[in-house]
Amino acid sequence: MRKLNVLLLAALLVVGVFVPAALAQDEKITITVLHYFDLTAPGSEREIEEIWHEFSRRHPNIIVEREDLFLEAFHQKVEAYAAADRLPDVVFMWPGGRSTSLHTQHLVKDLTPLLGEDAKYFNPAVLAPQAAGYLAELPQTMTSSHALYVNVPLLESLGLSIPETYEELVAMVPVIKGAGLDVILMGATDDWVIQSCLFSMIVGRLVGDEKLNQIIAGEAKFTDPEFVGALEFYAQMYKDGVLDRKIMNINYSEVNGLFASGRAPFMIDGDWKTANFLTDVTTGEALIPVDEQPNFKMTIFPAIPGEIVHKSSSGVVGTGFGMSSKIPDGSAKEAAAWELIKWLQGPEAQKLRLETAGTIPSRIDVTSDQLEPLVNERIRYYEDIEVYTAVLDNVLEGEVYLPLNVGLQEIGLGLATPMEVAERVQEALEAWRAKK
Amino acid sequence: MKRFLTWWTEERRAYLLLVLPGVLVYWAVMAFPTVFSLGLSMTNYNGGVIFGNPNIQFVGLKHYMRMFNDQYFWISLKNNGLIMAVSLFGQIPLGFLFAYVIHRKLIKFGSFFQTTLYLPCVISTIVVGRLWQAFFSPYGPFTKFMQRFQPGWENELAYDPKLAIIPVLFVILWMYTGQYMIIFLANLQKIDPSLIEAARIDGASEWQVLTRIMFPALSGVIVTSAILAIAGSLKSFDLIYAMTSGNPARRTSVLALYMYDTAFKHSPNYPLANSISMFMVLLSFTLIVLVRITEARFGGREE
Repeated sequence: MRKLNVLLLAALLVVGVFVPAALAQDEKITITVLHYFDLTAPGSEREIEEIWHEFSRRHPNIIVEREDLFLEAFHQKVEAYAAADRLPDVVFMWPGGRSTSLHTQHLVKDLTPLLGEDAKYFNPAVLAPQAAGYLAELPQTMTSSHALYVNVPLLESLGLSIPETYEELVAMVPVIKGAGLDVILMGATDDWVIQSCLFSMIVGRLVGDEKLNQIIAGEAKFTDPEFVGALEFYAQMYKDGVLDRKIMNINYSEVNGLFASGRAPFMIDGDWKTANFLTDVTTGEALIPVDEQPNFKMTIFPAIPGEIVHKSSSGVVGTGFGMSSKIPDGSAKEAAAWELIKWLQGPEAQKLRLETAGTIPSRIDVTSDQLEPLVNERIRYYEDIEVYTAVLDNVLEGEVYLPLNVGLQEIGLGLATPMEVAERVQEALEAWRAKK
Repeated sequence: MKRFLTWWTEERRAYLLLVLPGVLVYWAVMAFPTVFSLGLSMTNYNGGVIFGNPNIQFVGLKHYMRMFNDQYFWISLKNNGLIMAVSLFGQIPLGFLFAYVIHRKLIKFGSFFQTTLYLPCVISTIVVGRLWQAFFSPYGPFTKFMQRFQPGWENELAYDPKLAIIPVLFVILWMYTGQYMIIFLANLQKIDPSLIEAARIDGASEWQVLTRIMFPALSGVIVTSAILAIAGSLKSFDLIYAMTSGNPARRTSVLALYMYDTAFKHSPNYPLANSISMFMVLLSFTLIVLVRITEARFGGREE
């Protein structure tokens, strides 16, 4: 019912605002937009009013014809538009995944020249080339799939400090275990967790994206020493006592309470995990109360021996808006469409999304005083990361990363050797390529 | 025509009218999909329109071969076997024992125990799964309890791949025994008490009453329970999904979970998933036929 109301309201507004405006002047520029939007989500009314209507108020000469769709309906419409060669001027997109054809068929423009000087307001990591090697959409957020969470007072109570190198971390193991604690917690019952939150970072450091791309392209192999070396380092973490087999029986949500209650000084997870510790708006309760949140720090994994990429984390950029390549370069329409895209990733819009949905801004000039300390820590954490490397399940096909996910658990449990897992993943990659 | 008219009696019409809807629904939602799935398992169909899809090709038993070559298939099958063993040789005998003890009033507070034993069956499987997962967790009450007696005890049960299935089997036993107890209890109540009384007067012991009167009278129920147990073990999914998701490293997976992972997780592989489901159907049929044969050969007669 609420959805219907919002739809009705939106329809009335479209009729009320745009139609008279369209009739008044004809030199106005019309921009069609296909937006991926959940009208029932909390904050959606604020987004319509404070982002879309505000844009129309600020730019009376640009008429925005917006179409809101969600989930499969959106994807089907995009496919239909693309097939009919009638892509809207501005379209919501993913950096890869389901939007891959928009990238690879160059149905949208490279935004880099339009961004120009404004690039300085964005975190450099989010402007990295996307699925087809260029900036096809301007991401509104990013996610680091790896973060080392530290319970600082607990660590300091043992006379330790945040390690800079892996060797330092290993040296801490006897002290931490001597105190009856675990070293690193992970909620790794589900097999994607180790791959996404830990191993992708290790591959980024020891193998590097360049070599990984060669492997995917068939110019190198998973069984090459670099990748096997990454698996061996991961196996070594168990031998050194840094990781414990126990993690494979800790549920992904069970780990939250364990870390919050100080069972271990460290936890490895994605940066999104912070959301689980924040205050619940309905109950007012938090796993980590606001006054204790400053005790928790987020950092990247210490330097790994033999790493070729330093201070890196694995991450993916978020969704954003792209511009149809049909719009002529340098035209007034291009300027208008760009004005809209820029506004949609502007400080006002990103601040709103940060406050309503906790979306981490891709801009570096967005902050809010309404945030809990752990959210600010999450934003600050991005300053620690100097290089972003691929998240494996984002760049590999499901049937290729599946044997890896299971294989990582098997290595941890002593059921398979690094070489065996590498061979299985290589086999899966070759089978997938043969099928294509 | 005349023959048809004599055949087309009112009785036949009524029969058809009453039976046809049921048969049609059964064919539409059970029989047809099963046969269709068999067909799909021998093609490369992996999503999209089925009819008029130019890419669908017959590939024979390719997917079955792949399935038999996959170590996770055998792990899942072995776990199904263990669950079946627990159901047949754990749940049914225990269920019978409890029913017998309660029915013969060998203990006091029979209805209290009856309710307690049946209670797990009415709790949502997901709740049960999460509850026991937390119980057996390396940080859970079970570990703490054991550490009380043996400080520094490590809960290997939770993550040793060879032992990881044990908590699952225990929970399955705990959860479904009550169901068989209720079935046996209901059927024990149907046995004429005068029959037992007469046997006792003639000097039969409790054991003789059990083996000479109760068992023969219940053989049909035992077969039904066995069929339920086999079918139930082969399709077991929800509890394990909630408890372990088949992990660590797929060592607690079962066929249904293996099929689900193949069909819906990561990159879907529908033909392979179809092959797995066909294998499950065939296995279930074979086992049920085996139970039937066993019953025909060794079982007693009801009444």
